[in-house]
Amino acid sequence: MISRTSPITSLAVRAVTPIALVVAAYVLFAGHNQPGGGFAAGLMLGAIVVLRTIAGMQQPSGATTWLAVGGAIAGVVAIAPMFWGEPLLDQVVVSWDVPLLGTVKTGSALLFDLGVVAIVVGLVLALLDGLDASSLVDRRSGPSASTPDGVDS
Amino acid sequence: METYDPSLLIWFLLVLHASVCVVLASGGRRLGRRSLWVAAVPMALTAAWSATRLGSNDAVAAGFEWVPGLDLAFEFRVDALAALLSLLVSGIGALVCVYAVGYFSPTAASMGRFSATLLAFSTAMVGLVWADSVWTLFIFWELTSVTSFLLVGFKHTDPVARTAARRALVITAAGGLSLLAGFVLFVDAAGTATLTDVAPVTGASANAAAILILVAAATKSAQFPFHVWLPGAMAAPTPVSAYLHSATMVKAGVILVAVIAPAFQDTDVWKPLGLSFGLVTMVWGAIGALRHVDAKLVLAWGTVSQLGLLIALLAIGTPKATFAAISVLVAHAIFKAALFMVVGEVDVRTGTRNINQLSGLRRSMPITFAVALISGASMAGIPPLLGFPTKEAAIEASLALTGAEFWIVGGLIIGGSVLTVAYTTRLLIGMFAKSAPMPGRDVGALRSAMTAPEVVLAAATVLGFVALGWVTGVVRAAVVTIAPKAEVYSLFRWPGLTDAFVTSMVIVALGLVSGTLLARRVVEHGPAARGARNVDWTIDGVGRLARLVAARVQHGSLPLYLATTVLVVCIAAVPFVVEIDTDSLYWWDNGAEAVLVLMIVAAAVAATRVSSRLGAALVLGAVGFSVSGLFVAYGAPDLVLTQLLVETVVVVGFVVGLGKLATRFPPATRLWSAGRVILSVAMGSAVAVALAGSAARPVGDAPVAELAETAQTEGGGKNVVNVILTDTRALDTLGEITVLAVVAVGILTLRTRRGRRGRSTEEVVPS
Repeated sequence: MISRTSPITSLAVRAVTPIALVVAAYVLFAGHNQPGGGFAAGLMLGAIVVLRTIAGMQQPSGATTWLAVGGAIAGVVAIAPMFWGEPLLDQVVVSWDVPLLGTVKTGSALLFDLGVVAIVVGLVLALLDGLDASSLVDRRSGPSASTPDGVDS
Repeated sequence: METYDPSLLIWFLLVLHASVCVVLASGGRRLGRRSLWVAAVPMALTAAWSATRLGSNDAVAAGFEWVPGLDLAFEFRVDALAALLSLLVSGIGALVCVYAVGYFSPTAASMGRFSATLLAFSTAMVGLVWADSVWTLFIFWELTSVTSFLLVGFKHTDPVARTAARRALVITAAGGLSLLAGFVLFVDAAGTATLTDVAPVTGASANAAAILILVAAATKSAQFPFHVWLPGAMAAPTPVSAYLHSATMVKAGVILVAVIAPAFQDTDVWKPLGLSFGLVTMVWGAIGALRHVDAKLVLAWGTVSQLGLLIALLAIGTPKATFAAISVLVAHAIFKAALFMVVGEVDVRTGTRNINQLSGLRRSMPITFAVALISGASMAGIPPLLGFPTKEAAIEASLALTGAEFWIVGGLIIGGSVLTVAYTTRLLIGMFAKSAPMPGRDVGALRSAMTAPEVVLAAATVLGFVALGWVTGVVRAAVVTIAPKAEVYSLFRWPGLTDAFVTSMVIVALGLVSGTLLARRVVEHGPAARGARNVDWTIDGVGRLARLVAARVQHGSLPLYLATTVLVVCIAAVPFVVEIDTDSLYWWDNGAEAVLVLMIVAAAVAATRVSSRLGAALVLGAVGFSVSGLFVAYGAPDLVLTQLLVETVVVVGFVVGLGKLATRFPPATRLWSAGRVILSVAMGSAVAVALAGSAARPVGDAPVAELAETAQTEGGGKNVVNVILTDTRALDTLGEITVLAVVAVGILTLRTRRGRRGRSTEEVVPS
């Protein structure tokens, strides 16, 4: 069904990856004023991960790291305002003048959304790991991959 | 004059404690026993600062609100009482650290963990005595329970220690729940959570709060019948027993009763219940101390008895009794810590704590003997030691009672004091006097790290008597913060031939005689810990019951789980039936909806008819994509985007997961299919009914304009949905991503367990 050896699948996934990454980044940044945000961007990245996994281009590993990083970012952004005497999760809005883009307005909410992204990606990775997606690909990609070392009959 | 803000020092000390804890927990392994010295530093600093605040009339306060909406705040206030208590906590803590250096062998393992936990406990205790809000107090109260659990179970490979730790945790944590409930009622009745603002409360809820808080204090301070965990906690290393289970943690309940007593003075239950706890405990503890042969258990039961005395004195509630209680608390912390240290040293140097096997140690361990004699005499209330004037104050307070109270309370306190002198005498004679040979036991070499803290504490007991005027001033300043009328009382070196003095001399004489007589009677072994065993049986029984229930409820049959869920949803939907308003229902807003709904229905029906699993997954995906089409029709771009992405990931996930299963559904019997049809229709109808019912509810105008406004001004964004997610309702989002993270961790755990099981079977199967 799906195989690393299928050139069509792997080529398509390879081609789509950078585009999807850019779109995910756009969705994340656009989220503040237009449809999008952390959940959507995270799912977009998750979709890339799923595609790459079933195309045999990567292992669904590192879920814990994504979860930890996401949790840490969201937690820090949540607690940080309290050090300045503001209530939990109070957000700071800043605007910069950036060359080419003009005035960019952003805030700590964007950081919080980054945490959301990481946690969603972590969840997708954990799901893939739980479904044993990589072994599925390995088994179908060739007979030699499934034979452990040194168990020659 | 002060160039610094003293409230910053409170934060500094607490943060220092916490950060040293973290450092020790992570890097203590390399330091070994030296980590104990590191742990002693924050304690010593806190003790030093507390000493400078002793007897001061102005308090240092610090705090910040962390959820203003819920009136939740961290509040600390170091007044004369808090300073006195934190000096005891941190000072004895630092001494215990030094003592532990001698107690543990140079090669002892897990010293980093030990010192980190000990310091964590010290932090919790300092936070508890400095707390000025009941919520702050509660948090640190629970922290002391947890750290105590870890310390009692320090030797976690020893089943006895583990059971004891579990017992202690279950009893004190149950008390914590009681405390929480009591505080909720109390704050409701008093209208404030700040301890310095407490005003007397009365009424039914105040009575309930009084009972709950007293029970909590009784669990922590080992009052009968909750005392059963304390003797078991002696499974901990002796430095822990000396610190937690004599000098500090068990005093937490006493401290709580002391600071909150002014609020409950007028309730009907406070005094009788407090007196019952205290007096019964005092006598029962002293009897227990007379029955045991393990010196550490004798001291543990003695502590139970003394805690009973403290609670009883505080429950009397007169300024005189409160003054006596705080004086006894100070003296007790000092001499009891020293006595535990002595027993620990005897244990380490001779290899036993059994007073039947020990004898004549006065010659081989002269310094230890001197410390034991001074501290024991102080406990018995013999001059010229700090224990004497404080015991005098207690007896005077009980003699000042009138009527039935005089006979019952006064009688029991005096009787308990006789028993105290008796068990002290029996213990000292058993260990140090006599001179029967100790076959096969050599007395090990002196360990100065153990002896030094003992000597310091014994010196404090003596100096406390010498500088009694200063001690009186410090104690009085502390007591005045909770009982302003106590400012007239003093501790006396030589009170004159008062009733109290005569009484206490009679007590000492009776105690000495009976103690000497009891020391001759040989008791083979101590009584069985029946109460503790009952607690363990209960805990085990609850565990077995839980497994039994779980085995029934968690049967593992997916169809049954699903059926249960559907049934519950159907029942929940029933109330909505009557709410459906047929007039408010209409077919569609525009034609596109009709088309999309037809697509959804068609795809849903197809999903039930498809025989291949992959086909079913794809058709389900079609349902999802059509639903996102509906969102387009309603003009909800955020929902569309999320729904499309979720559907995509889910469909691909299905495809991945299906790779493990057969490509077709297994054939189903007619009955089985019918059951599934019924379930599906029931679920669909229930949701439809609920939606139709809630659509009929008047909701008023949607606050669209307002939301768009606040999104711009406060969130700084034009996408209202996203501003709600990341700013206005960010706490909800935080909760949601927490759920996601928990789900992910759950999946990973299942995966890991499966992997492990796979490996183990591979190992078992021979190749």
